[in-house]
Amino acid sequence: MMGCYDFCGHYEWTFEWLNRLGGHELVKAYWDEAIHRDSQLHASELIREKGFEGMKEYWGPTLADEGAVYERTMTKDVFRIDMHECPSKGFLIRNGLDQYSDYCNHCMGWIGPLMKQAGFVIDHEHNHRGQCWWEMRRKDNATPASAPGELSGEDDVRLRPGWQSEHTDHYERATDPDDKTAI
Amino acid sequence: MTSDSVLPYPDTKTVGHADFYFATNATFRFIKQRHGIEGLRRYWQDIGREYYRPVSERWSKNGVAEYWRAFFAAEPSAQVQVHESPDEVRLEVKICPLIRHLREHGREIVPEICQHCYFVSEAIAQPAGLAVRVCGGNGSCTQRFMKNHAALEPQNLEDIATAS
Repeated sequence: MMGCYDFCGHYEWTFEWLNRLGGHELVKAYWDEAIHRDSQLHASELIREKGFEGMKEYWGPTLADEGAVYERTMTKDVFRIDMHECPSKGFLIRNGLDQYSDYCNHCMGWIGPLMKQAGFVIDHEHNHRGQCWWEMRRKDNATPASAPGELSGEDDVRLRPGWQSEHTDHYERATDPDDKTAI
Repeated sequence: MTSDSVLPYPDTKTVGHADFYFATNATFRFIKQRHGIEGLRRYWQDIGREYYRPVSERWSKNGVAEYWRAFFAAEPSAQVQVHESPDEVRLEVKICPLIRHLREHGREIVPEICQHCYFVSEAIAQPAGLAVRVCGGNGSCTQRFMKNHAALEPQNLEDIATAS
């Protein structure tokens, strides 16, 4: 049986299996069709129906159950996550599992299309060390991403001494995993 | 789970997050829709041979029973008895945690999902000189792990229940 205890390991392995079979487009289709529209349909429904409150309801229990160390900040205009210890990437790093070229992309791979469908855009960065931040705003809100510390204060992951990495991916008002620039 | 865990990829948590079963079911559905049941079986065989290679190595040193005890201790709500005899290790799966969680949440279950236990485990077992035979499914089953030999009857896939 394939268990849920080491799910992130076989999930990451599966990205590379699909990549070998059908390239990047098949991996993207998997994140959208299998994860966003099938596995995480409960998240889609919550966020489509309740907006920011739905994000709070979804990510609260889910990240806690997965053992994440993170902070949420919500105002009437934005929902922000500061991920200090990603349980998923942390598991892969500790176990030396690195089959696929960019595991962290999978979050934008399913959350991006979900947010697009629900009417939101995303500002986001991940540093490939198990740390990232997300800001979700309604698509008609043109406010740019916050400056470090502006929204979440000292909980802002960008203020961590280890935040800077040689390979950080950056997204602005994005909903597609390919909408990134490396900084 | 400590670094001397019998599981190949230990984590800091003691039990997995059951909602990941949704993604396992969805992954099987996606591959089946795109590449048919034969494509899905190839996926199961490949993951058994590659991702679970450390399990094959453990099984080649007689670690089958202790692996499954540790495995099901880390799967939420699993009820499984592991019986060990000189000839085989037998799992009596009273409550399959995967099927249970999908049903509890009203998810559409991939009908062939129970076959993954055969195809993945057989791919793990073969390099260790072992074989597996599965009977039942759809929430409870029996899985027997034994030495592979020419006289062993092949797995009859009709012995594995369609899930719903």
